[in-house]
Amino acid sequence: MIALNDIFVFKRCVTILKSTGKRAKNLKQLRDILKIISKESIYHHTYEYFLKGHIIQYTNDFAQWVGESLEEQSLSEQLSNIDPYSFSDINQLRNKIIKTIQEYMDTFPNLRDVIEGEEFCFNESITIVYPIGIKVRNLAEFLIAIRFIDEGCIYYHFYEARTRLGSGIDDFSMWIEYTLNKKSLAEKIRSIDLFMHDINGIREYIIDVVEEEVKRDMEAIGNVE
Amino acid sequence: MLNEYAGIVPKGDIILIHRLCKRLKGKNFLHINSTKAGGGVAEILQRMIPFLNELGINARWEVIEGNKDFFDITKKFHNALQGKKEYFTEHMWKYHFEINRQNAERINLDADVVFIHDPQPIPLVIFRHSDKNIWFWRCHIDLSNPRQEVYDHLMRYYENYDAGIFSVSRFAKGAKSLEFIIPPSIDPLSEKNKKLTKREIEDILLSYNIPTDRPMILQVSRFDRFKDPIGVINAYKIVKKYNDCILVLAGSPATDDPEGEVVLEKVKDYASEDPDIFILLLPPFSDKVINALQRAATVVVQKSLKEGFGLTVSEAMWKGKPVIGRAVGGIPLQIIHKVTGFLVHSIEGTAFRIRQFLNNPQMIKEMGEKGREYVRNNFLITRQIRDYLSVWYYMQTQGGSVREV
Repeated sequence: MIALNDIFVFKRCVTILKSTGKRAKNLKQLRDILKIISKESIYHHTYEYFLKGHIIQYTNDFAQWVGESLEEQSLSEQLSNIDPYSFSDINQLRNKIIKTIQEYMDTFPNLRDVIEGEEFCFNESITIVYPIGIKVRNLAEFLIAIRFIDEGCIYYHFYEARTRLGSGIDDFSMWIEYTLNKKSLAEKIRSIDLFMHDINGIREYIIDVVEEEVKRDMEAIGNVE
Repeated sequence: MLNEYAGIVPKGDIILIHRLCKRLKGKNFLHINSTKAGGGVAEILQRMIPFLNELGINARWEVIEGNKDFFDITKKFHNALQGKKEYFTEHMWKYHFEINRQNAERINLDADVVFIHDPQPIPLVIFRHSDKNIWFWRCHIDLSNPRQEVYDHLMRYYENYDAGIFSVSRFAKGAKSLEFIIPPSIDPLSEKNKKLTKREIEDILLSYNIPTDRPMILQVSRFDRFKDPIGVINAYKIVKKYNDCILVLAGSPATDDPEGEVVLEKVKDYASEDPDIFILLLPPFSDKVINALQRAATVVVQKSLKEGFGLTVSEAMWKGKPVIGRAVGGIPLQIIHKVTGFLVHSIEGTAFRIRQFLNNPQMIKEMGEKGREYVRNNFLITRQIRDYLSVWYYMQTQGGSVREV
């Protein structure tokens, strides 16, 4: 008999943008607005970047805008290198982004405006979370589910969980470690460099390591018999 | 009806729509716009209303009535909001309000949620009967660089709404604390987007005398200055020096666009000496013809100078066609540069990218496939319905920015 708590319930989240009405057309304006913009906006442009099917070259909206619209590649690289999950508070992340921009502006003070229409628009988001009707009880079922769940599910359990749980741990590896008692598999999942994959890349990686584990488990049963 | 979309749209969207409709069951959802036909708003409403009714929401769609003078004025609003200089008299403002007052007497405005689409019916909010229901102004047009006088005037009405919904972040001006960004969408099962057989496509092309022996460059849009049909012809002329091809410009008239005829005549005149340019003024509801043209096209162009969103881009991408679009309105949201198509900034850039496609069928195939998947996840009707219901649910429940459904 499997306890209810042992079942993994897949959920999905969708976000809808909410405008703040604030926009920047150059680095100075970006920095100034970053000082006053809501935490929700910073969260949206950094953590939720991964939900957008991000371009691997960048890891947040600020880096993408600086790289693509302002064409300041060096600063873009520095912004992309900021790991939002290494901060325990959004204001620390905010300060790091501002400091990075400020240092760049100190070195290169003659910066241009973007062309009209390419301003950075500061948004927030509202998030709707809901179960998608898939529950699994073991690793084999998990393997089947992970193959076809929406990207929004993987985002919710893999990226969003890190901020929700506050431990830098995702839902998948937590369930695998504490419910299925498979610590080494959990560690493999946690070792994924989440900035270097899009959501489907994460899916493929998880499929590979879980499939390997399921195969090993099946072979172990065969050996006992 | 929702089940028809299974296997086509993301399954998670269908589940969320069901869950939200359960919570909003029996409530009244009213949409008001200014035309029954022509343009993306009418197309989506035609499909969305029966869809929501089937799921237990009492959805209703009303169209405001007005004469030529009214639509001449609102067309000027439209132009001015998109940056064109227009002149307005006090009489015109009053007339706009008066026609809306007459419509408010005719239309039952009672509903739990009211969506007023675009500036034509924006004054209707003045006649709302209650502060307990939720009124959204749903703006589909490009407000990034409006003429201030018109913008300020319309904002006086906007103040009376509870929230705004815009298609693109840049169009939201922060005039209200609640402004949502919801891109529009296409319906994969509509006459315009459903699968067609090869035979059906060929028959339609034949009926319009469009040859199939050469690559086709296509732009589908109203005949409107902001869609820059002359610019497309100029790009085609550059391409034609290097690659044999034909150009098709196709569009339907809209009852709320009195300028269309003038622009059409100008375009016909400009193209008159080239037998390989086909200008098709299609009657309303020519969706199957547009579908066939998009499927037959080799390359699709959307070279608009201003664009509310530019759903023809998603329509073409859904049919596996790479799109070359100008980086205006919602086009950059749909075209990921060099992934699902190309963003261009000039006639020369448009011509260059067309030539690139015409000489590289593999690139057409790869970008076309990526574009179709991108549309599946972001620009199908179920996503838009999901988002409308989500903001409604968000507005009528209490809590932070996260809602569990």
